[in-house]
Amino acid sequence: MKRGAKARPVLITLLMLLPGWAIFFGLFFYPMMITVVRSLRPEGEQVGWTLEHYVRFLSEPRARGVIVLTFVLSIASTLCSIAFSLVLCLVLRRKPRGHRFFRLTMLVPRVVPGLIGALGLLLLLGSRGWVNLFLLQFPFIREPVQINYTIPGLILFYTWLYFPFTAVTTLSTLESLDPAIEEAADVAGANRWQVLRHVIVPLIMPGILAGSILTFMAAFGAFSIPLIAGGNYRPLAVEIYRQIDFTPARWSAASARAMIMALLQVIFLTIYMRILRRPAR
Amino acid sequence: MTLMRQYLRAVFNARKLLIYTFLLCFALAIYLPFLMIVLRSIGKEWFGKLWLPPKLTLDWYRWAVEVTNIVDISKNTLIIAGLAVIMSTLVGIPTGWAFGRRRIPGKELLMSMILLPRMIPPIAYALGVAQIFYRLHLINTHFGVALSHVAVCAPYAILVLSATFEGLDERVLEAAAVCGANPLRTFFHVIVPLILPGILSSMIFTFTTSYNEFTLTLLTYGKDTVTLPVRTYLAIGEGYWEVTSAMSVILVIPSLIVLFLIQKQVAPEKLVGGFKGV
Repeated sequence: MKRGAKARPVLITLLMLLPGWAIFFGLFFYPMMITVVRSLRPEGEQVGWTLEHYVRFLSEPRARGVIVLTFVLSIASTLCSIAFSLVLCLVLRRKPRGHRFFRLTMLVPRVVPGLIGALGLLLLLGSRGWVNLFLLQFPFIREPVQINYTIPGLILFYTWLYFPFTAVTTLSTLESLDPAIEEAADVAGANRWQVLRHVIVPLIMPGILAGSILTFMAAFGAFSIPLIAGGNYRPLAVEIYRQIDFTPARWSAASARAMIMALLQVIFLTIYMRILRRPAR
Repeated sequence: MTLMRQYLRAVFNARKLLIYTFLLCFALAIYLPFLMIVLRSIGKEWFGKLWLPPKLTLDWYRWAVEVTNIVDISKNTLIIAGLAVIMSTLVGIPTGWAFGRRRIPGKELLMSMILLPRMIPPIAYALGVAQIFYRLHLINTHFGVALSHVAVCAPYAILVLSATFEGLDERVLEAAAVCGANPLRTFFHVIVPLILPGILSSMIFTFTTSYNEFTLTLLTYGKDTVTLPVRTYLAIGEGYWEVTSAMSVILVIPSLIVLFLIQKQVAPEKLVGGFKGV
């Protein structure tokens, strides 16, 4: 009797967890397994095991370029996001007039579909866009600057789209900071820059890093943006899609690339977490 | 002394000027792309080095409606987003309740597993989802596309709802019991009003996620389930920038409504996910 009375709540808990697990296994774990198995099968067959898709992709000279490009884009845009978010949040923390508006502005790239943001940026930065029209006003710039479809351009696109992850967490960490700490540093005779460098930044570092992980993950997995704005530069996600974009679709080749991508991300995240968990100086 | 004060004021104003210039540039960087889209969608014969289109027209919108069948596409998008929201909420409520109210061994680990679909690049499991759906004939059905969206929407719903249930104060429930409310009455008059904001914000976020979802849709859509993001992508590929812009203006309206709701109702931090503990 006692055992039964104890077992019932456990059973209810398990039942309640069931839908979440069903979704997790049905829509994530099982598809992931299919991708793993598919990547090890010969193209278009249901039997047999092979590693040729991995070997073939990794031995292509282009493969290294693709992987390096993916990392360059995601790391560079993460660093840009951190730098930009830090300045923006330090400014917004002072609650300048209209700060609510700017807070909302910060969320716009997250709420609006990424494709539209990318389309707008393509129009704005194109050779006939306002940025180039503005730059052409200067006497030393004769030709429109090519921004779209270049690596710096792509980094700019990524930063525009993914900085809110970093900015929002940075801002909320910054606002939960105890003002007394700063005042203490101030009283101790530190100037503004020293307070920033030695007090504020180390204290909010965990928040910045946690946010920047989100930016990094989004940038690493970015698909729609490089698809339309990448031009000749294809990061891993686009490279995967290109394998199944035409008929006959090469599912196995695509799956092998997807596995490499997922693995690289997990490895990088593990290293990142290590750095994050290390006690601050 | 006056000199000193003037000097200080000048420095202060320079700082203020700098801050506002920075904020202005930031706002311009965010909003100008949208302004460009709007201008492109109503402009006509806009060639060469012109800042503004010389003539205005609504032709591109007519094209968007007639040629790209935007009414049907909007209908598809909304049906799919609606289904995804319903399914994610139905999954999120019990699971969120269990996570929020029950002591589960290894809760942290379970939670991070639930959040895993948001950490692995979607294209990796989208490949698997597409292959399963081909076998189950779920490709090109509204239900199928919505179901694939649930993979990324449900973690959000579970996260937000478990925080909501966790925030439910035990003492309020006890107070209701003390005042003589039976469980049914407690549920409808105490619990529901308390968790309704949480459910609403979870719905807003899952709607945004599904509405903007591109990767999973691209791998599971068919000719009857083209959604607005996919259609925009196809239109960009076709190179009709004006028509694409007109479609984008239509596509962006629900997002703006959502932004408005967020500003009214919910904390923006939640929008980027509660990965703070990562």
